Amino acid sequence: MLRQPLSRALTLSSPVRAAPLAARPYAAQAPPPPEKVEVFIDDKPVHVLPGTTILQAAALVGVEIPRFCYHERLAVAGNCRMCLVEIERSPKPAAACAMPVMKGMRVKTNSDLTKKAREGVMEFLLVNHPLDCPICDQGGECDLQDQSMAFGSDRSRFTDIHFSGKRAVEDKDVGPLIKTIMTRCIHCTRCIRFASEVAGVDDFGTTGRGSDMQVGTYVEKMFLSELSGNIIDLCPVGALTSKPYSFAARPWETRRIDSVDVLDPLGSNIVIATRTNEVLRILPRTNEEINEEWLSDKSRFACDGLKRQRLVTPMMTDSRGNLTPVEWEDAMVAAARALRDCPPGKLLAVAGDLADAESLVALKDLVNRLGSDSTCTEQYFPLDGAGIDLRSSYLCNTKIANVEDADFVLLIGTNTRFEAPLLNARIRKAFIHKDTDVALIGPKVDLTYEYIHVGDSASAVKDLATGSSSHEVMKRLEAAKRPVVILGADQLKTPEGAAILAYTQELALRLQDKLEDKKWKVLNVLQRTASQVAALDIGYQPGVGAALQAGPQVVYLLGADSGVVSRDQLPKGATVIYQGHHGDAGAAIADIVLPGAAYTEKRATYVNAEGRAQQTLVAVTPPGKAREDWKIIRALSEVVGQRLPYDTLDEVRDRLSEISPALVTYGDVQDNNYFAQARSLAQSLQKPVSGKVDVQLKKLEDFFMTDPISRASPTMAKCVQAVIKQKSSKY
Amino acid sequence: MFQVISRAARLSRTPLSRSLPAFSTTSQINGRDQLGRHEAPMIDNDVVVASPDEKQQKSVLESTISVPVKVDLTPVSGVPEEHIKPRRVRIYQPPKNAMQSGTNNIHHWEMEFDNRQRWENPLMGWTSTGDPLSNMKVAFRSPEEAIEHCEKNGWSWFLDVPKIEKPVRPKNYGLNFSWNRRTRVSTK
Repeated sequence: MLRQPLSRALTLSSPVRAAPLAARPYAAQAPPPPEKVEVFIDDKPVHVLPGTTILQAAALVGVEIPRFCYHERLAVAGNCRMCLVEIERSPKPAAACAMPVMKGMRVKTNSDLTKKAREGVMEFLLVNHPLDCPICDQGGECDLQDQSMAFGSDRSRFTDIHFSGKRAVEDKDVGPLIKTIMTRCIHCTRCIRFASEVAGVDDFGTTGRGSDMQVGTYVEKMFLSELSGNIIDLCPVGALTSKPYSFAARPWETRRIDSVDVLDPLGSNIVIATRTNEVLRILPRTNEEINEEWLSDKSRFACDGLKRQRLVTPMMTDSRGNLTPVEWEDAMVAAARALRDCPPGKLLAVAGDLADAESLVALKDLVNRLGSDSTCTEQYFPLDGAGIDLRSSYLCNTKIANVEDADFVLLIGTNTRFEAPLLNARIRKAFIHKDTDVALIGPKVDLTYEYIHVGDSASAVKDLATGSSSHEVMKRLEAAKRPVVILGADQLKTPEGAAILAYTQELALRLQDKLEDKKWKVLNVLQRTASQVAALDIGYQPGVGAALQAGPQVVYLLGADSGVVSRDQLPKGATVIYQGHHGDAGAAIADIVLPGAAYTEKRATYVNAEGRAQQTLVAVTPPGKAREDWKIIRALSEVVGQRLPYDTLDEVRDRLSEISPALVTYGDVQDNNYFAQARSLAQSLQKPVSGKVDVQLKKLEDFFMTDPISRASPTMAKCVQAVIKQKSSKY
Repeated sequence: MFQVISRAARLSRTPLSRSLPAFSTTSQINGRDQLGRHEAPMIDNDVVVASPDEKQQKSVLESTISVPVKVDLTPVSGVPEEHIKPRRVRIYQPPKNAMQSGTNNIHHWEMEFDNRQRWENPLMGWTSTGDPLSNMKVAFRSPEEAIEHCEKNGWSWFLDVPKIEKPVRPKNYGLNFSWNRRTRVSTK
């Protein structure tokens, strides 16, 4: 009786109350938000929007309620009952994850009743959970283990000495990535919800009820998703574990290094778990602006490719044309001789998909000092019009996180599901939660959500851009308040690429000019590789076509492995120097091989598709005699006699910031501008187009092996095989 | 007679003086009660009987000395220069383990040195390293504290701020069953 007015009086002057007052200027512009209600979690007052669940309100004041089935990025299921809490003047405990708050509600998360409820739930869960923690891969990072220690009873009433009662469930086969031990399943249904909500592959479900309930795919079936690895993370027990990582290590014996993924253009944040100089597994790291807490299967499971097909020593071709291992000194001297003897205009440098910004800038500086100007990337981008001079014309300007606020998305010639799986997950999130509609110009592919198919002819882009289209998408785009147009970089390779880009710019800018929200950006060009944006920022020419026609005498491949440079395009007697980490297409045609470091082995800068610079950190050291890439180029410059003016990584980054400060502002992304200028420069390029819009990655089996690391990965090879096998199955 | 009296006095005094803090509950109440009870503050006997000189001496001893210049521990810390100059400290907030839902162990800041070579020791298969700073993970309450610590020790540092802020959107159990939304669950 006495306590209530006292605590009320105290909260009057608390900062919680003061916050809405400070935010008033914004409230005047936007429609007024619903009035917040005050609730008390363990007597701590908190103001939340009406409809918030108790569990969310508790999280705001730092009270963590134990849970198994609840996950903040999935729908509420409310079936594990672990989050039961006592509410004052309520006869029974309530499930905090599903119970909305009410005004003045007093929740006790630590009362005797709550503790008793948790103990009861734990007891029920553990009755049918096997006691195989010592052989379980989840051991040490298991929610059930931790929560039974923290909230379970200290003694057991389970006295089944005849071993008659424990439930057992047959294991499922859901593909080469996920190992299932279904007896351990506690039926939280997180995997089911992930599959149907985020992955969009509605294959999981439950059959039976009571103690006969089982989670599975009903018929034996592979989980055909590019995001399947996430259900391993989601599983709070060891029912779903990683097959490639099974029995490899315990969580306490690995070292975790935060880094950035480079196998797709988004630069998802990752944690690399290593032991004894070996990458054991890769887990996602939360970054709300890029990958939330998901990770695509390629980024997660291709890490075993880092141990195979590696270039561990410098190599040179011997008299019979075979590559033979040599010392660094010999390789350096030979490479330097080739570079020095090369006529100035006949030197070509080609950067590959996984090149980092430091080595890109070092290589460009070296090539320029040697009197040549041809530094190219493998991926093409049209140079007509504004070309690569304006950053806004080759980036995702909307930014990944904002895509989920869009109300209409137009995809032009891109299969986002496989080119950037987590961007696709965002679009799907908008599709489900915001009722966003999606349209696609391109081949009919499975994007995991329904979309309006506008056809696959390039003239559809032209019609939309000029406003002459009679398709319903035209009206939808014009009515949209926050439209997004995403153009796949695959389209730019074609002869009509420049025109398609020009029309896309025209369309996006026409929409953008009419928007009420002047900050909203419509135009997005989705690059295919992690290195392309940094290379274009630094000033590499996109595409090798023109440079190859000049007949280069020396070709320096910086991890260029996608096969756009081949021996028969080069003049006879040309020297090919390959610097990279995997023995792939590039090393196969090389005369001199300089072993470099992969993305887990160097501290290096990568710029993602939205123009956000991020850095990888050293998790393991490069194998054998391999070295960090920029250091190789720096050393080579000294042997050539054109010493590059940087000795440390910081000095290289100073050089990067001279070129563009955006390259070293790690983690942040800048707004882009000059859309109108790009549009006016592209006016003359709006020529009639007649071709088809096609994408390279159409099916799931195309997704797994796209770069030297994933091509070397046995797990990825198994995935391709399994998907092909599943497709031939009648289910 | 005198002996008896003095012994009795000693007996009565000893337990009292020893457990004096146990009798006094004022300070505890002050710390616990936010409103604060207005009771007379406890004054130490030593303070009352001390001479002005002693008081001044005591206040001199108790006051802190502020050093205006930047503190540089490198000359006295004994860390070899090769582990100070070329190395770089990352100051970060530990990420949530993706495999678990608990977040109680990530609300602090840590510093960590750049990672150096490790190898498997042939004797036992354990991991070896030649890097004396490889296990130096120090926890701090705020990035400022971590930065100050690094500056003091002469390490160059960089701050890695995680992007984990997101607006709270109320979750709704009813959305699973809404008939006109795409959030309706198809499988259970």
